[in-house]
Amino acid sequence: MSDGLNYKFLVDTFFVALSGVPITLFVTAVALLVALPLGFLLALTRINQIPILNTFSQVYVSFVRGTPIIIQIFIVYASVPLILTAITEKYNWNIKIYDINPIWYAFIVFSFSTTAILIEVFRSALSTVSKGQLEAAQAVGLTNFQAYRRIVIPQALVVALPNICTATVNLIKATSLGYAMSLQEITLKAKVAANVGYNYVEAYLDIFLVYIILCSLVEYGFKLYEKRLRKYQYVSS
Amino acid sequence: MLEIKDIHKSFGKNEILKGVDLTIDKGDVVVILGPSGSGKTTLLRCINFLEKADSGKAAFGELQVDLHSASKKDIHAIRQKTAFVFQSYNLFNNKTALENVTEGLITGRKVPKTEANEIGKKALDKVGLSDKYDSYPSQLSGGQQQRVGIARAVALNPDIILFDEPTSALDPELVGEVLTVMKNIANEGTTMLVVTHEMSFAKDVAKRVIFMDGGVVVEEGTPHEIFVSPKEERTKKFLKRVLPEDYTFYI
Repeated sequence: MSDGLNYKFLVDTFFVALSGVPITLFVTAVALLVALPLGFLLALTRINQIPILNTFSQVYVSFVRGTPIIIQIFIVYASVPLILTAITEKYNWNIKIYDINPIWYAFIVFSFSTTAILIEVFRSALSTVSKGQLEAAQAVGLTNFQAYRRIVIPQALVVALPNICTATVNLIKATSLGYAMSLQEITLKAKVAANVGYNYVEAYLDIFLVYIILCSLVEYGFKLYEKRLRKYQYVSS
Repeated sequence: MLEIKDIHKSFGKNEILKGVDLTIDKGDVVVILGPSGSGKTTLLRCINFLEKADSGKAAFGELQVDLHSASKKDIHAIRQKTAFVFQSYNLFNNKTALENVTEGLITGRKVPKTEANEIGKKALDKVGLSDKYDSYPSQLSGGQQQRVGIARAVALNPDIILFDEPTSALDPELVGEVLTVMKNIANEGTTMLVVTHEMSFAKDVAKRVIFMDGGVVVEEGTPHEIFVSPKEERTKKFLKRVLPEDYTFYI
């Protein structure tokens, strides 16, 4: 091993790590696309105390929140193939379970965990919009759906946005655990490159840099969006 | 025009309305007085289905509905005929004053936007807020917010406007501007059902005064009958408490 950092490797591996960004973002985007609407709907069932679904959401949140993501990954990665094997054998389907791209497992795990987080985010955000505004909307002849779409959600979104941003950034970072199921994302790619010459410190620095750049950009985007949504609170007369 | 029959409502074991009847003719201003917890607000909320009554019937001109088991369609129909002014204004915080007023017209009643804006501006002019079309609720004082709330109700051109303690959340010095607006609207012949603690408004503007206590109508009559010669002991006691000593009544 050479003394000091291997700068050429540092630079090269930075781009290797960077090449994992699309997969990281793809998994993040899919998880958010599933979790945002689902989390919102389940938050509504909690706020409106809809029987069964309310309890389900409650148990679901404690379940997911109370277990480390890495364990969720292990469970899904180990159990889903077993279940699928049983099913395919029963119906004689000719599918090679172990050829399934790990990204599908990533979609499942991260959608599950993000939904749980967003249920709580939306629940607290929705409860900040006074019930009176919903009543006023009904009184002027809006349907419940219209009242939510035009009055409640725009205001709840403003409150929820900082927390959605946190959830998104956490999600991006959590996808690094995807290496445990050989998902070709940032961390795995850089680590594989490091394996060749044992340049782990350089690889970790690169991973560090890529995540911090990625997350800062996402945070910045959220801030801009929030500013736009908040216009009704900040205007001066 | 509006007739309510035998309305009952409990919250848990607490019976709030114990069979209230109410008739309001077109153009009437009816004021409901009574101590806190007497069921005034609940009565108003049940008429507009913000609260579901346990039993009772309502007749709105031709439209007859059961206050407990009304269909969504009936509820919608009643809400098209009524408007509600809330104690805590309940303006839409993400909308400007004008948008607050036009929201029910555009989204609820499918009025074209330009026409709705026209109506909305007129309503805001009527409550003296011609210079506040584009202000958000956070930029308005309590009195101004409540006037937007009244404009929002007026713009819908309802058969009746229900006022739920419209001045109770206001600073004393802002009460006057809201009452003035309400008087103007009353003078235009708007049918109004008003729950209030403002005795002067009841005295000056009401055609009939209803005194409620303990979930029933104790006494009703003209302001003169209620304020000068109340028959029931309960009414006398209430008025003695809320009216100043030297209160005299002119008509």
